[in-house]
Amino acid sequence: MKKQYKIRTFLLVLALMTAFSCEEEFFDRPPEDSFNAAGFYQTTEEVEVATRGLYLRPWFDFISNTAWVIGEIASGNARTYDPRNADFVNFAVNSNHQNVARTWTSLYAVVAQSNAIINTLPGSVGAQVPQEVVDNAIGEARFMRAIAYFYLVRIYGSVPIIANNTEAIQQLELERNPIDDVYRFITLDLEFAIDNCFEKIRSTSNYIENAHVTSGSAKALLAKVYLYQEDYTMAYQLADEVISSGEFKLFGGDAEDGDPNGSYYGLFQTANDNNPESIFAIQWGTSGQFAEGNSLQSLFAQAGLTGFADGWGALGPSLDLQEAYEDNTQDVRFYATIQAPGAFYPDINGGYTTAADIDLHDTKAGVKKYVIGTPDDDGGGAQQSYPNNTYILRYGELLLIHAEAAIMGGGSTAQGTTSFNKVRRRAGLNDIINPTIDDIFEERRIELAFEFEFWYDVVRRGEAFAVDFLSNTERGIFTDTDPPQVDSRKFAATADDLLYPYPTTELQKNPGLSKEPVPYNFDN
Amino acid sequence: MTMLFCCFTFYGLAQNQISGVVRDEAGEPVPGANIVEEGTSNGTISDANGRYSLLVQDDATLVFSFIGYVNQIIKVGGRSVIDITLAENVEVLNEVVVIGYGTEMAEKISGSVSLVDTKTIKDIPQVSIDQLIQGRASGVMVTQNSGQPGSSVSVRIRGINSINGSSEPLYVIDGIPVSGDSRNLSSSGISTAGAGIGEGSGAADVSPLAALNPNDIKSVVVLKDASATAIYGSRGSNGVVLITTKKGQSGKARLNYSTFFALQRPTNAYNLMNLQEYATLQNTIGEIYELPTIAEFSQPQLLGTGTNWQQEIFDDAFMQNHQLSLSGGSEKHTYYISGSFVDQEGTILGSGFQRGTIRANLNADINDRIRGGFSIGATRSKEQIALSNSPQGLISLSLLNPPSIAVRNPDGSFAGPITAEEIAFGIRNPIAEASNIRNDLVRNRILGNLFVEVDIIEGLTLRAEAGGDFAFNNTDQFQPTFSYGSIERGTNVAISRRENTDFWILKQLLTYTKAFDKHEMTLLVGHEAQESSYNGIRAQDGNFIGNDFPILGTGNDNDVLPPQYKGSNALESYLARAIYSFDSRYNLTASIRRDKSSKFAPGNRVGYFPSVSASWRLSEEAFIGGFNALQDIKVFGGYGVVGNQDISNFAFGSTLRPVNTGIGTGFEFQNFSNEALTWESSTQVNAGVSFTAFKSKLSATIEVYNKVSKDFLFQFAPNDAVTGGISPGSVTPPWVNIGEMQNKGIDITLGYSDEIANRITWNSTLTVSHYKNNVNRLLGDTPILGQVELLDAPKNISFTREGQALGLFYGYVVEGLFRSLDDIQGAPIQFGRPFENALFGTTWLGDVKFKDINGDGVVDGNDRTVIGNPHPDFTFGFQNSFSWKNFDLSIFLQGSYGNDIFNAVGRTLTAGNRTYTNQLPSVLDYWSVDNPNASSPRLARNDTQNINISDRYVEDGSYVRIQNVTFGYSLPSAILEKLSVQRLKIYTSIQNLYTFTNYSGYDPEVGAINQNVLLNGIDNGRYPIPRTFTLGLNVEF
Repeated sequence: MKKQYKIRTFLLVLALMTAFSCEEEFFDRPPEDSFNAAGFYQTTEEVEVATRGLYLRPWFDFISNTAWVIGEIASGNARTYDPRNADFVNFAVNSNHQNVARTWTSLYAVVAQSNAIINTLPGSVGAQVPQEVVDNAIGEARFMRAIAYFYLVRIYGSVPIIANNTEAIQQLELERNPIDDVYRFITLDLEFAIDNCFEKIRSTSNYIENAHVTSGSAKALLAKVYLYQEDYTMAYQLADEVISSGEFKLFGGDAEDGDPNGSYYGLFQTANDNNPESIFAIQWGTSGQFAEGNSLQSLFAQAGLTGFADGWGALGPSLDLQEAYEDNTQDVRFYATIQAPGAFYPDINGGYTTAADIDLHDTKAGVKKYVIGTPDDDGGGAQQSYPNNTYILRYGELLLIHAEAAIMGGGSTAQGTTSFNKVRRRAGLNDIINPTIDDIFEERRIELAFEFEFWYDVVRRGEAFAVDFLSNTERGIFTDTDPPQVDSRKFAATADDLLYPYPTTELQKNPGLSKEPVPYNFDN
Repeated sequence: MTMLFCCFTFYGLAQNQISGVVRDEAGEPVPGANIVEEGTSNGTISDANGRYSLLVQDDATLVFSFIGYVNQIIKVGGRSVIDITLAENVEVLNEVVVIGYGTEMAEKISGSVSLVDTKTIKDIPQVSIDQLIQGRASGVMVTQNSGQPGSSVSVRIRGINSINGSSEPLYVIDGIPVSGDSRNLSSSGISTAGAGIGEGSGAADVSPLAALNPNDIKSVVVLKDASATAIYGSRGSNGVVLITTKKGQSGKARLNYSTFFALQRPTNAYNLMNLQEYATLQNTIGEIYELPTIAEFSQPQLLGTGTNWQQEIFDDAFMQNHQLSLSGGSEKHTYYISGSFVDQEGTILGSGFQRGTIRANLNADINDRIRGGFSIGATRSKEQIALSNSPQGLISLSLLNPPSIAVRNPDGSFAGPITAEEIAFGIRNPIAEASNIRNDLVRNRILGNLFVEVDIIEGLTLRAEAGGDFAFNNTDQFQPTFSYGSIERGTNVAISRRENTDFWILKQLLTYTKAFDKHEMTLLVGHEAQESSYNGIRAQDGNFIGNDFPILGTGNDNDVLPPQYKGSNALESYLARAIYSFDSRYNLTASIRRDKSSKFAPGNRVGYFPSVSASWRLSEEAFIGGFNALQDIKVFGGYGVVGNQDISNFAFGSTLRPVNTGIGTGFEFQNFSNEALTWESSTQVNAGVSFTAFKSKLSATIEVYNKVSKDFLFQFAPNDAVTGGISPGSVTPPWVNIGEMQNKGIDITLGYSDEIANRITWNSTLTVSHYKNNVNRLLGDTPILGQVELLDAPKNISFTREGQALGLFYGYVVEGLFRSLDDIQGAPIQFGRPFENALFGTTWLGDVKFKDINGDGVVDGNDRTVIGNPHPDFTFGFQNSFSWKNFDLSIFLQGSYGNDIFNAVGRTLTAGNRTYTNQLPSVLDYWSVDNPNASSPRLARNDTQNINISDRYVEDGSYVRIQNVTFGYSLPSAILEKLSVQRLKIYTSIQNLYTFTNYSGYDPEVGAINQNVLLNGIDNGRYPIPRTFTLGLNVEF
């Protein structure tokens, strides 16, 4: 009897205890400080903001650490004493170099973020979001993916093509794909972007409206991609379509498709970000946060100019480049690109005079392009994080693509020459009546100096040309004598130096990089 | 027979009347203690006042014993009065031990449980209990990750159990679970010390236990095997440390004041190049890089020694500690209240720790059937955090900064790099940074538990508990405008962070105990629910007017970091346990726990964790009656399964991260999702034996275990191309369940206590732990690589692969230098670089000759192999206490044997390819035609392969450390009575007195970089632990 009483009591108390038991909601804890990716894209606005992230942070490491080192230092446009980057001056870069790892991860971060949108958006988008908004967003993402692969293939050659990261995340080994397949993949992406991104005319007043890439941006980039594949007919045709569309304008100059209020110098002022010449530019923010802003002037400017501890003066314009200008005074691009001793810049820090003894890396000069001064004067930001855009493609280059494609037999030489001279006239130079391919090569060098293109321009002219050109570029210094003499330094390049090695850290993880490339399966 | 014996003794020898008082260590009389003349049955028992008297022979030896105390064996030696103080014995049998959700008689415990003797650690000047248990319990390996005051330690119970970031145990403080993970991996994922200025892997994480005043701790019990920890189910896989704070005792009120003052002094320094040597190096390396010559260095022999940056950054540091406690009670009520304050300066400029605590523990019997009580502690601590453990940390900067740069200019301002070349490769002035940049962390924390216990009917008790752990952390960082050399910090920046972490737990426990005949049983069923949440806000502003009032909002920059982070998780558990004991001989424990966690997707939330264990006290068996060599023999063993869920909430899903863009707020994908994610689990088998010998002078416990853990929760992607690696904007890898790992080991604890000479007693405890780790299953041939950010680039240093131990060092094997053309003849081509005399891109005389491991005739990435093992063969702790009259002496040795260290600091300091960077003098003994027998490779450009990760940088990390020597004196009772003082002890100690090691760095106790198990034993500029001289006083009224 007593025993039963005990058991009953025990069970009663136990039953009471279970009354405390928790409901299922107690365990449902969605993220409280960020959006659940699975539940996003329900409204038009959510889809519209989804692509903004593709315009900056994943690009940060590539732009900050490598784009200029390859584009300018390796090409011979600039020189440095910095032992790390000196490896690019003398073609001593190996797999261990930090920059080859940063390029790899940064560009593949662009791919990963682009793929996340490309592969997630169609399946989870809200029913009321208009189809053209969805198509535009996917088009933007495919544009970004295309340009990331365009850099990857130009820097490393054969690379793994990843179209769906969620599937690839399971694979222990990623095979690499042939260069031609990478170009075909890029072309398909850009054709999609041309067909699906919005078409628009760039505003000449409200620049912020020009920030997103459009169908025309994709067309312009595809023209450039065709140039690399030596398909001059397609390159000409697409460039011609972009010009006739009237979407973009040359900022400054007297061309009929120009914006007379602008100037070459003005292209690089923060206030003119997303001017109508901009086809695609990195949209750095003003938050001052690391990787959300532009850090180029931290590296290019001399100490004290930025208002912070940066201004590391990591490179100086090579004597070769300084020599390449037809006329340092007449060509307005010299002043906008290179800081000569004593040069005065009224817009920087309320008026900035370059030191008379400026001598970065014994070049008797410094770099001006992308150097904008303290945040107070130029739109905010903080050390290593400034808001000025970084151009990836602009209309000035498109005109030169048009000219090159024409001269190489892709279309009307007359039209091409016109485009070519629009660029020269804006720079303050006289027309060249019958430009040659060498003229265009030189023009691109000057027009795009410190916009990180020259290396690829050298390499795409072929192995023999590139090895010869790079080996004979003057990488020397000015002596401290009066007048300064050239203390010459030249370094022999080989065909192997035209592509960069895969990073050691990745080679150690992915055995596929050490095997022969495998054709990409375009069917799935 | 007895009669005869008595008669014999009575008539045989001279007799002597002995009397005295038996007291405990607190000076209280011990009634009921046994006093026996050794080898006879002659004995007595102390009275209510602890007094005794006994007639013995002149040369007799007396044995004083009492349950729960160490036996005292004293030779009479002609004395007539012998007062004895019995020391409490925490290891002894017959003691009540705190186990999970209850207590148990030690003799009946069948799981693996280690008790830390809190007596031996009470006078040691450490601020946190996790630091104090080093070497005190077998199977528990503690390494201090940093000498930063208040920083985290790595505690590994029985090897490394997971490849998951944290392998730290669960701490249960008065019933409240507290995670040992300093990186908050299972909540916000944001380290309490990190984020903002000086952020990076180098910010030493802070210890979650630094909030607890070690003086308030009564007992520390480590539950090691799964049968002991299974009752903690989902959170027990890394072991559980039960910490119980002091309670009052009925009787007279006691007031205790204890204090110590300490001086901390850096133990050793690297011998770096002085200015003359540096100038010589710089001249040579300058030629190699074709740098402009430095006029000042043209004649190095005329230069002075230059700046000794190490001397500048390290300094003697002061520390003081005060604690006041009041305790006592009546039969029905007891209380313990205390307050403490500690102030510890760091030996690195700008680091420090201050803490104030108060505690109140109250217990009351309401009536015969209802009891209640609470324990509550409140803490406020303030830490000044110095960046260390990173190539950009203050230690690295001090080592690398050239002696040619002064700390300050003649006008008192900070000096620094001047020329463009120096700036381009500039090493920041660490003194300027340490002096100017402020990084303060204030932590406020209340941790408490309240209980009510009701005896419902006889044997049936219901206990309800409510506990909470509420913390508020303030981080304030400020970087003023200042300049050094040509470097201008023209704009000041302030970052503030405010973070709440809230935790509550509710428990209902029903216990039924029943004893009949020789049977005893205890049944426990329980339910608990807990919720943990965090909510933090960060804000940044800059460009303030002056440096005096950096108030957010007053600056010109209104920059906002990702401003808010918040989240929560929940856990509900049901548990049941049965303990059955027959005649105290056979003991059986079985338990099961069911956990349901919010950390997994619906369908994967529930886990079951069972255990069973048994013990058999052989010495209670009749058949063993004649066997006297060993006493108290117990064999025990168990089996159990425990889980791990230490990941952030919603790790199974994918979130979007906000980004400030030039075109408005945008989003990035944060991570890959994995809905299938579920519990990590660990299964352990344990077997042990314990016994005493030599009349209980020697005690021994030996245990062996085999632990298999699997389905590790691990954030993993096979390669960087899929995620973007560590690039900004990368998509972090998904959490996955992978692999299986085994830890086999043996834990030995030996204790000895005896009178070794006239009235000198010796108590000694030796703990030895050994484990062998093996990864059974992972990803086939694909290894998991452990990457560390080094000065030149991130490098894969550790390597985890099937069939090997976790986190081995992996790299090339060095065969020596190419010293002559003969060496080059026929040697394998190294990394595709031709043998040619050039400054870069080639291999030439003076370069390191790496071994062609796979014999394919070339040296390349396939020639890497295991070059070191961070796992020790064994670790040990050896505590020795001596007492003589009123003096006591304690010596504690501790060490590790057979582990390797990867000396990443040494690698940077011998790179021989850097400009404007200081190096070790050995670099000057570089190979050249004139110095063919050099010890160091030729100086080379940045692209050199000589600095590849290789066994050049692997060193033996074995060490024996005299961790602590304490000498104390207690005033005799005659004087105390005059002073109206119960007890007064003064002591002096030296902590970290000396380390015997062959390791060339600061300190062989390297630990894991921020507790990461894949980065064990890698010295990347760790904040070294100082030597501490202490003077202390304990007084009780």
